[in-house]
Amino acid sequence: MRLLQKTMWVSLVSTIVLLMLSGLWLYNYLKSEITEEMQEQLEYESSEIYDYLGKGNVVRAPMVAVERLGDEAGPVSVFRDTVLYDAVQRKREDYYYLLSVRKTPAGNFRVMVITDYIGWHHYSHAIFIHVLITVVILALLNAFGAYFFNRRIWGPFFYNLASMRSWSVGSGVPIQLKESDIQEFGELKKALQDVVDRSQKEYLLLQQFTENAAHEIQTPLAIIQSKLDKISQMPIPEELSETVEQARSGVHRLKRLNKSLLLLAKLDNNAYSERSEVWLDQLLGQQLDALEELFVGRQIEPEVRLVPMRLSAAPFLVEILITNLLSNALRYTAPGGRVFIGIEGRVLRVANPGAPMDVPGDELFRRFRKGSANTETVGLGLAIVYQICQVNGWKVSYGYEEGMHVFRVEFGE
Amino acid sequence: MKLLIVEDESLLREDMSGYLTERGFDCETAADYREGYRRITESKYDIIVLDITLPGGTGIDLLRKLRTSSLSTAVLILSAKDSLPDKMKGFGLGADDYLTKPFYMEELTARLNAILRRRVTPVRQVTRFDGLEIDVDARSVSFQQKPITLTKKEFELLLFFIDNAGRVVSKRAIVEHLWGDEFGGSDSMDTIYVHTMNLRKKLIAHTGTDYIKTVYGTGYKWSNQ
Repeated sequence: MRLLQKTMWVSLVSTIVLLMLSGLWLYNYLKSEITEEMQEQLEYESSEIYDYLGKGNVVRAPMVAVERLGDEAGPVSVFRDTVLYDAVQRKREDYYYLLSVRKTPAGNFRVMVITDYIGWHHYSHAIFIHVLITVVILALLNAFGAYFFNRRIWGPFFYNLASMRSWSVGSGVPIQLKESDIQEFGELKKALQDVVDRSQKEYLLLQQFTENAAHEIQTPLAIIQSKLDKISQMPIPEELSETVEQARSGVHRLKRLNKSLLLLAKLDNNAYSERSEVWLDQLLGQQLDALEELFVGRQIEPEVRLVPMRLSAAPFLVEILITNLLSNALRYTAPGGRVFIGIEGRVLRVANPGAPMDVPGDELFRRFRKGSANTETVGLGLAIVYQICQVNGWKVSYGYEEGMHVFRVEFGE
Repeated sequence: MKLLIVEDESLLREDMSGYLTERGFDCETAADYREGYRRITESKYDIIVLDITLPGGTGIDLLRKLRTSSLSTAVLILSAKDSLPDKMKGFGLGADDYLTKPFYMEELTARLNAILRRRVTPVRQVTRFDGLEIDVDARSVSFQQKPITLTKKEFELLLFFIDNAGRVVSKRAIVEHLWGDEFGGSDSMDTIYVHTMNLRKKLIAHTGTDYIKTVYGTGYKWSNQ
């Protein structure tokens, strides 16, 4: 529940309770006042009647009942409610009566004087309707108030919330926050701006660091590779040449890792914002053509179904996306397997057979997460695919379907 | 071919210079921006291998200077094209190729030769080795006027071997040359073996010479001995 709704509800409910309590009090107060008045009136009326009876007269009046009693009767005085049938209005009505027994010079009499609750119904009605109308008006005011507050007072807050949600530290775009004349919101905005600025600064520093580190690693790597190259040109014993080859494989991995890190840092920095027209089917066809021997070499048959599909992206990134998906399929398909590569309805689908993985599907796209114990890979290929999709607004997903690892890239319209 | 290497890392500079001299290039070197600047203003080169980060300036600045005086000099930049800052890329550098560190010396030679074939030699270039004639534009090979049919990859492989004739060429360098480093795993190495053996058989059948020697554990060596 929204804070605004919550506070509105609390105030509405407490007002209703208060109104009901005050209505109840008013009802009771009026009732006791009226009862007192009625009792006074009934007492006065019956004492008049006793006076009249004492003088030996006979009393005959509506709403009065008189009875002569014997000498032994003591004085009594009781107020009671009763219900009488009104023959004229043909309905039962509430009445109030005073029943008393008193000694008069003319003997003992029992007198009952009755009166009706004149207007009493109107009072309770009036109170009830008053409370009801007030509640309805309050609820309406609440609704309007909520709308008004939402728009005016909470406006900047919701705006800032939305911009925080859509803001990404890696986008490099400064966040847009609205000022508010509410002190708390103003402070919140200031704090948000502070956090955003700081994290953006630190993020940039980190990216720069990664980029610089990757650049700096290149030269010593080049030296190692060049020296290994030099050694392998010499007439060396077989054992040593094997060692050199192993060292080379280490350099190769480090080089790939370094290249991937650099690429990721640049993707995070949105360095490839330039876009041009790219035909996915053509790039795919070219790469498949170039890789033909590798597929044949591994006895893997690619089954390719391509339809023309145009993209607006950095061609370089689309190439990497394709390369990474294809090399992934090539690497994890056992000899004799079939790899399916297809474009259908602006979706690229690459599927290769294989045993299910221990790793949950979505985690495959996390950096340095490997689906298998393959030591030759660095575990960044799919993370790069994911990041390329992120910067281009595409969606990549993984699924295991009927013994196949299926990667889908949805390019949208 | 007159070649200038501008690279501040001395170990790498010396290795490149030694290697390329051995390949028949007339090599000169420069260790920083000033030396590089002096060299390009004082003499004329066919090709320059240029590092980007240099003491005293950048390789990009050097390239700009060079382009004001010479358009014919070919340039290979030692950096990934995509890692150059945008403003540098946007300048229209006029570099002929890019090579990322670390690189295989075999790849460096192959790239330099490719640039030279494309750029420096104005007419159709035929590379010769013994009686072999390799027409790079037509992508055809013949031995004593008799054509040898090679697949696309076999042709690239042959050219790579000949560019690095007399040297041990590592299998990894071949894989990366043919398919890029993304496919440099051990599976690809087996494929290289198959293709190399196919090429070898075809060459033996046509020329009677076994040019491709296996160097245990490392790779192959092209030689006519």
